[in-house]
Amino acid sequence: MRLYSLSVLYKGEARVQLLKAASDVSTFNFFQRSSVQEFMTFTSQLIVERSELGSRASVKEQDYLCHVYVRSDGLAGVVIADNEYPSRVCFTLLDKVLEEFSRQVSRADWPSGSPATISYAALDGYLSKYQNPRDADPMTRVQAELDETKIILHNTMESLLERGEKLDDLVSKSEVLGVQSKAFYKTARKQNSCCEIM
Amino acid sequence: STPLLCAGSPTTRSGMGHPQLPWILLDELSSTKYWVSMHVSDHSGFHYRQFLLKSLIGRTVNDDNTLVQNQMGNEQNSSLQTEEECEGAEAVCVEEQSVDIPRYLEEELDFCTDLIDTYPGHETLWCHRRRVFYLQHHLTNRLPLLSVVGSSVDSSDETLHNSHPNPATGHMAQAMDVDGLNESSSKQGYTQETKRLKRAPMQDSFGPEMEYRFIDKVLSTCRDVDQARFATAYRKWLVTFLGQ
Repeated sequence: MRLYSLSVLYKGEARVQLLKAASDVSTFNFFQRSSVQEFMTFTSQLIVERSELGSRASVKEQDYLCHVYVRSDGLAGVVIADNEYPSRVCFTLLDKVLEEFSRQVSRADWPSGSPATISYAALDGYLSKYQNPRDADPMTRVQAELDETKIILHNTMESLLERGEKLDDLVSKSEVLGVQSKAFYKTARKQNSCCEIM
Repeated sequence: STPLLCAGSPTTRSGMGHPQLPWILLDELSSTKYWVSMHVSDHSGFHYRQFLLKSLIGRTVNDDNTLVQNQMGNEQNSSLQTEEECEGAEAVCVEEQSVDIPRYLEEELDFCTDLIDTYPGHETLWCHRRRVFYLQHHLTNRLPLLSVVGSSVDSSDETLHNSHPNPATGHMAQAMDVDGLNESSSKQGYTQETKRLKRAPMQDSFGPEMEYRFIDKVLSTCRDVDQARFATAYRKWLVTFLGQ
């Protein structure tokens, strides 16, 4: 039961800006960690790009679940977790983080912000605290089945893409992924173990 | 002289003489609780807990399903040895005869309920529930425990069904006998259970009724599709298992 990353992004008219991110890649192979981190950023950005304003969704990719909340004001959050971690707690976390972020960081800074320029330091703490959902959210059990919020479920990353769009193309065009990560992706793809790293 | 094994009667089971064993089992039960609750889709952790519970039961119930009446008494032939080996661990030897198995099984079932409610949609938890209920049911009804190690839930269903044509009525008859039996025993081990059996016609804090209520509650409140499916499957299994 694990959380891997927590990011805050802004969905502008033209593009999606990553504002701040925290990740925990300690359970991954040492030599893969930086690539994993890059792929999580890539994935988070892609998901926000392909989600409507004012929507919540869970995107499943192998053993991972990416939970996204895009607010109607464009502020968005993505949590990448494993398939044991209860999704309701993820959405509670996203609500909380985005609400706090919007209070601490002025809206004017969102459209052009980046992790280097944005000052919001709470993400690492949240990621760490929420590793055990029960510690972080004592109401988990009571609320587990009461939530009425609509959450769109995607069974694969592919279902986010437009007709004819290929993940491979998006990966090779990505500015977020380093050369090594792209190479790794290609190799993994060939071996049919694609997205193991994701 | 025999080292660890307190050589009592030939029917003494291999682990029985070891004074430390129940402690280890209980300690493991307690220390694995956190791990399994953080790995709710991993069968291995829960399978281990089932093994621990079975081992605990195995130490207090004989092959012919009579209760181990007086553990100290069984080993009276080697009581001197027992004392030596218990040296510095006297408390442990005393503990040995008062492991409240029914309580641990009930706690395990409660624990399972808690996990099922908190983390909906994990089949592992429902499988675990079947196993624990099975152990509890057999212990309560003094039915012989089938020692089918590592069998799948399905195959143990079959075996059980074949060898117990009428578990329901069997249970009723057994309940009466057990009352009488426990009357004359002087063991703390099953006092809790005896009290429970005497308190109500059937079990009130665990047992089939409890399980049906739990299933109904889950089905009426759950929003996870898998959870509903597992609850329904569990009910089917229960009905078959109890032969009702």
